Formats: sequence, structure tokens, C-alpha cells
Amino acid sequence: MNMVANTGGAGLRSILVRYGFLIIIAAFFAFFALYTSSFLNGSNLLNIVEGSSILLILALGMTLVVALGGIDLSVGIAFDMGAAFAIVAMKEYELAWYVAVLIGIGGGALVGLLNAFLVVRLAVSPFLATLGTFFIGSSVQRVFTNGGGPISHRRVPTEYRNLAIGDVYGIPSEVIISAVVLIGYYVFLERSIFGKRIHAIGLQQSAAVVAGIKVRSYIAIGFVLAAATCAIGGIIGSANLRMFTPLAGFSYLLDAIAAVFIGASMHPRGRPNVPGTLVGVLFLGMVANGLNLMGLDFNTKDALSGLILVGALAIAVAQRKLR
Amino acid sequence: MGLLSSCQSKRANSRSVSMTFDAQILNMSGISKAFPGVQALDAASLSVDAGEVHGLVGENGAGKSTIIKVLAGVYSRDAGDVEINGIGFETLSPAAVHDAGVRFIHQELHLVPHFTVAESVFMGQELQGVLGTKNTAMRRRAEEFLEESLNAHISATTLIRDLGIAERKLVQIARALIDSKAQIVVFDEPTAPLAIGEIEQLFQAIRRLKERGIAMIYVSHYLGEITELCDRVTVFRNGKNVAVESEIDERSTETIIRHMVGRDIEELYPKKDHGVRDPILKLSDLTSDGRFSGIDLAIGKGEIVGIAGLIGSGREELTDAIYGLAQPTSGIVTLDGKDLNVTSPSIAVEAGIVLVPRDRRHDGLVLDLNVADNINLASLDEVATSFLENRKAAIQRAEALCEKLDIRPRNAEAITRFLSGGNQQKVVLARWLATGSKLFILDEPTVGVDIGAKVEIYQVIEGLAAQGAGILISSSDPSELLGICDRIVVLMRGEKIADEPAITLNLDSLTALTTGGGSVDTAT
Repeated sequence: MNMVANTGGAGLRSILVRYGFLIIIAAFFAFFALYTSSFLNGSNLLNIVEGSSILLILALGMTLVVALGGIDLSVGIAFDMGAAFAIVAMKEYELAWYVAVLIGIGGGALVGLLNAFLVVRLAVSPFLATLGTFFIGSSVQRVFTNGGGPISHRRVPTEYRNLAIGDVYGIPSEVIISAVVLIGYYVFLERSIFGKRIHAIGLQQSAAVVAGIKVRSYIAIGFVLAAATCAIGGIIGSANLRMFTPLAGFSYLLDAIAAVFIGASMHPRGRPNVPGTLVGVLFLGMVANGLNLMGLDFNTKDALSGLILVGALAIAVAQRKLR
Repeated sequence: MGLLSSCQSKRANSRSVSMTFDAQILNMSGISKAFPGVQALDAASLSVDAGEVHGLVGENGAGKSTIIKVLAGVYSRDAGDVEINGIGFETLSPAAVHDAGVRFIHQELHLVPHFTVAESVFMGQELQGVLGTKNTAMRRRAEEFLEESLNAHISATTLIRDLGIAERKLVQIARALIDSKAQIVVFDEPTAPLAIGEIEQLFQAIRRLKERGIAMIYVSHYLGEITELCDRVTVFRNGKNVAVESEIDERSTETIIRHMVGRDIEELYPKKDHGVRDPILKLSDLTSDGRFSGIDLAIGKGEIVGIAGLIGSGREELTDAIYGLAQPTSGIVTLDGKDLNVTSPSIAVEAGIVLVPRDRRHDGLVLDLNVADNINLASLDEVATSFLENRKAAIQRAEALCEKLDIRPRNAEAITRFLSGGNQQKVVLARWLATGSKLFILDEPTVGVDIGAKVEIYQVIEGLAAQGAGILISSSDPSELLGICDRIVVLMRGEKIADEPAITLNLDSLTALTTGGGSVDTAT
């Protein structure tokens, strides 16, 4: 594309900048493959994918909100609500597993509704609104569980448990569920006319308003959809452990943000996008897995994630300068 | 283009001053610069003498801003020589250019509203004393400079937000020149944000700078300003300098236009033949407290109605209210005989009212989406099967509209940010052509648009009217309103003070009306 810069020494630099992030991914991949015996193993690669499933679901919800020009610091709360509503529905009210799943998703959606109310009605900035929701949601969970004790339900229906530990023809159900969510998000955000409007809103809200797009409705629906999506992650988490663990969702928040922005940095115009988010999630999963196999301190993983995020964003800026 | 007749008497005077300087202070020759797919500059030259005001004109995309950015050190040139004050520069960096005494007055003001004039002028170049910044000295210097070099009487303790746009412009200029090392000053569309009455204030400042021997490059789309102010004019077309005109006067305009477009423009404003029609939009007693009050207005099918008025006349607020960007406090809006409560632009668009906003880069376009996306944005369901976008249909429809409106480059997948102003404006128009609306509100439709694109935009407007759409044009350019409109409504301090057929008005009478200097009786 860039015919001017591709001359001599500048050529190599421009190649490095243009494909910088993919080169980094490949380098990490090669590094882990060379220095650990089991990294390239098929079952280990499946481990990476399976271990990334829940993060992928939350990161997709985050992608939607970031594409709308916002941020959602309360994805963990929606995750927790999904788990809590579903487990309580089965334990206390003995409802069927699929009803419990729907109730869990609904419980997550309530978190999104609160965000939508704060952002659209009260015009609080998404950052502060979802921070508020995060604090409120955290507190509610502690109060409800008398200080944060888990609600376990050892006799969950097998079907519910299988949402986490089952498989179809050897493919773990977590992977299948996250793949369905992934495809749904891809079609919605990258192929549908709704997605086009959502990107327009996130890129330049005032222009979207003048173009007659119902910006407020889209933002409200975006927050609700994102939160409902995160609840699916919480349901899988609770199915795995057969319990609701308060505040468990928080651990996904920063990784989800990192994955979305790593993905956005790979887009030619810096837009958050579904394929990019997938790459970001898999990349974070690969790094965690590789470090683990190498027997390195797991705590260094966050430092690496941070370096990679900052590096990816720096590359993205360099890329845009090159154009 | 005749807005500036008030200052003609001073021209002869200022020209004679320039004749005493002829030392070349800037010489750029053989400058080439290519971008992916575009040869932005093709062995172009620009040479400026000390103490002259040198006009730089050309259609959008002709290469004027590129050569300015090469001079600024923003773009590195592919070929060519640059000499400033006789010293050759192999490479140009912003710092080196600044040291060589070249200053740029950008279109955007970049001033902090809560700073004082003195703080703004000295921002980043504060006068340091032993006990911190020398505030009193800075205030005095700022006031002195504004007074002596720019002919402006502004108190240095005024906050920027309390200044008019023209005064802010002068503060911006003072900030660039306060270190007294400037030899060449480049003005990029300096009058674009100014109202008619404010332009003269800026011109006086420029003339004062000229008397002090500073060379100036003046980039503008307004040929009236160019012929008013400049000693020589360089015309750019397709990345080359096609002409350098000296001996500039009123009659130069035609020659300059011919060089710009490479052909004769026979008629700027298309012919029109509009009879009396049924009203499509009616405003009855529309009021928005503190902004405008008691506005009655009817627009017929196929009629082009103009709104004239200075900044603060309620012109912008009125069009915003019709489009639902602001809520009127009382009054009735009817479209096609039906009462309409437009509380948001989405309702307006659904009803068939569309807006081409004055700030197209901010409100008109999603700059980082491509041309096709921007064109289809308001009618995406028409290029979709159920809710999935049909990319092929979307691109095809956009390309057809690009063809129809002559949008360049002819590439519906080009990112909109990189199009020139005129082409961007055509993209906004194309979006609303695609929706087939009943009433088009156009707010400053040709600001920052070059003359060739202007003519094409007028033809589109005329074509829409011919098909029966109602058109409401809000503009600060009286010749534009007189040329294109059937009827002109004049607003002043939020009230309608005139509603006349355009043929009963002329430039003088319309200007007099908008500035409160006359009544309709003085017309014709």
C-alpha cells in the first residue's frame, strides 16, 4: 500500500512496524515451542483455547462497549451476577437448568441496565458510571453473602455442570459456547448494519447523531448486551466450580481491557474489532500458558501482558504515522 | 466576493509599500511529494519576496496545503530545493523552520478558553525573572504588541473565552510573533471562522505587519480577500504552480479562477425557474428562549430559501431546532401539513428533514470510516439483506453517487479523512441524496470549499429543488444567498427582520439588512 516509504532501509522498518504485532506473536510462539517440550502439543494448544474461553466472552462484551466509544469496568459484576442468579435459581427455587441459565443472563443484564441508565439518562461518563456500578455491585455481593462466602450447590443438574466440563466430539463445551458467542459478535459488530452504526457512534458520536442514528438507544442496548454476554461467562464459571464465588469476575476485567486494545491496535485505523479481540485473548492465554510450562513465576505474566499492551499500542501509533 | 469593498481605498496605499521590497526571502523550487496513489506536488515552486503579501490559491487537492506542510517541516519532500533568506535547507524540521523565522497561523486557534490574553500569548515562552514569571512585563508586552503590530486594542487580562473570534485570531498571531524574530508568516484560511464584520479587523493587522516588512503567505479560498490583500498570487493546480499573477486587482479574479480550474467558469450560479408551490415546511411562532423568538417561515416544494444573519442572530440555533439538535420552547413545526415534534435528529430524518451541518468534519462525517460507509450511514437498511450489510450493494450505490457528484478520488473505500473539504462536503450531500428526503437544511454548505466544487454543490442543490425538495440554506456569504436562493430571510438578534424575494435584494441591501444598517426600502 505504501509505495513511498518502501525504499531501502526505510522498507525494513516499515515492514517491522506494519507487521510488528504479528511478529511479536510469532516470536513468542516460536520461543515457547523451542524452550518447552509440551507447548506445541495438541492437547496443550487446546488447553490454551479452553483456558481463554471465559476471558474471550467477557472481552467480546467489552469490545462492544469500547466500539461504542465507552468502557465497562463492571464486566466482572455482570459475570458475578450471572453466576449468582443461576446458582440461586437452582438451589433456592429448584428451577430447571435452562431456566436458571436464562435467569443468570437476565441477572447480568440488570447490571447493564444500571450502566445504561447512568450513562444515557444521567449522562455520567462510561468510565465513572461503570466504576460506580462496580463498587455498588461488589458491595451488594458482600452484603448478600455475609462478607463474601461462596454459595455452593453440589447437586447442580448434570446438564448445567456440562456447560463447563462437558464436550461434544472431544471439543470442550466452553470452547463451543465461546465460539458461538464469538460468531454472534462477529456477525453483529462486523457484518451487520447495527455494527456499522455502533462503530460510527464510537468513532464520532456527534456525526452519528446528525446522521439520524438513535445514538442513545444504541449505547443503552450496548451496555445491556455486553453485560448479558459477561453473565454467560459467569454461568460457565459457576458450572465449573458448582458454586457462586463472590467477586470472582474481577480477575477478568483488566485482561479483557488489554485484549480489546491489543486487538484495536492491530486494526489499520485503530478500531476495536472482534477478530482483533480474539487474537488479543489468545495471545494473553498463550503467554500465560507458556510461562507456566517454563516453570516461570506466574506473577511475571502480568508484567509481560503490560509490556505487550504498551508495545502493541506504540506500534499502532507508529503505524498510523507511517501512513 | 464583494464583501470587502469597504476597505478598497486602502489598497493603493499598501501596494506602494510593497514595491520598495524585492529581495526574495523564500524560494521553493521543483518541490515534489507523493503519497500512496497521489502525486500531491509535482515539481512545484513558490517564491516570496520580503514585505509582500503573497496569495496562495488553488482548488482543494491542488497542493497548496501540501507545499505549506513541506515548508513547515511536517512532510519531508521527495525532491526540490528550499531556500529561506538565501540559506539552503537540505531537510526541514519544524524547529529549524521556526529558527529561520517562519511562523504558521493555523486555521484552528488552539487557545485555552480560561487563560488570559497575556498567558495565551506567552504560553510556552514565558518571560522568566528571578522570582518566577514576570507577569506584569508579559501583560505590558502583550498589550504593546497587539496595539503596535496588530492594530488591536485588547486588554491583556481579558479571558480568551470573552473575546470574539477575530480577537482570538489576533491573539494567536501575537503568540506566533511576540519573539520578534518572524520574517515569514503563513496564514492558512485565517478568515474561515470569522463573520463579515470581523474580517476587516484581521486585514488591518495584516497590513500593519506588512508595513513592518514581514513577508506573508496568505492561503484562502476567498478570492475577494486575495485580490483585496495580496501583492502577488501563486495559483496551484494538480500539484503544480500554474501561474504567478502580479498586478492584482478586482479584475484578476476571473484570471485566477481560470488558472485554478483550467477552464472558464461560465456561470457560478445555475439558472433557476421556480414558480409558487405548496408549502412543505411551516414554522409558526417558533421560539427558543434567549436564542430566537416568534419565527414564522414557510418553505415551498422546490423552493430555495436562504437565511442570512450575523453570528448571534439565531441563524444556527434556528436550523438546529428544526433538526432536533436543540429543543424550541414553543411554536409549531409542520411538515407536509402534519404537526411534527422533532426531539432528535433521528425523528427529523425519519420524517424527511435532513441537515448538512456547518462543521462537516465534526458533525457531518465519521472521518475514519470510508466514503461508502459515510454515504450509506443514514440508509443502511437499503444496502442490507435483512440486517446484514450487503457490501457489494453498499459499494456500488456509493460509487454511483460518487460518480454523480464527481467525488474524488473515485474510490468509495477511501478513508473520508483524507478527502479534500469540497469532496467531503459532497459525501455529506450524497448521504442525504441516498435517503430521498423532502427538506434539506444546508448550513454554510460551501465554507472551505473550492470554487469548482462550489459550482457543483450549487448544481446539486438546484437539482434537488427541481425534483421538488424544499431547501433551506443558512449562510454567511451574501453573494451565495443572492445567487442561489428564491427567497431570503434575514435574522437579527433572534428575530426575523426581513423575508424578501432574492431578486429584490442586492449585495449592498442584503449586507445592510444583516448588519442592521438599512431596511428593505434601500433595495434594488
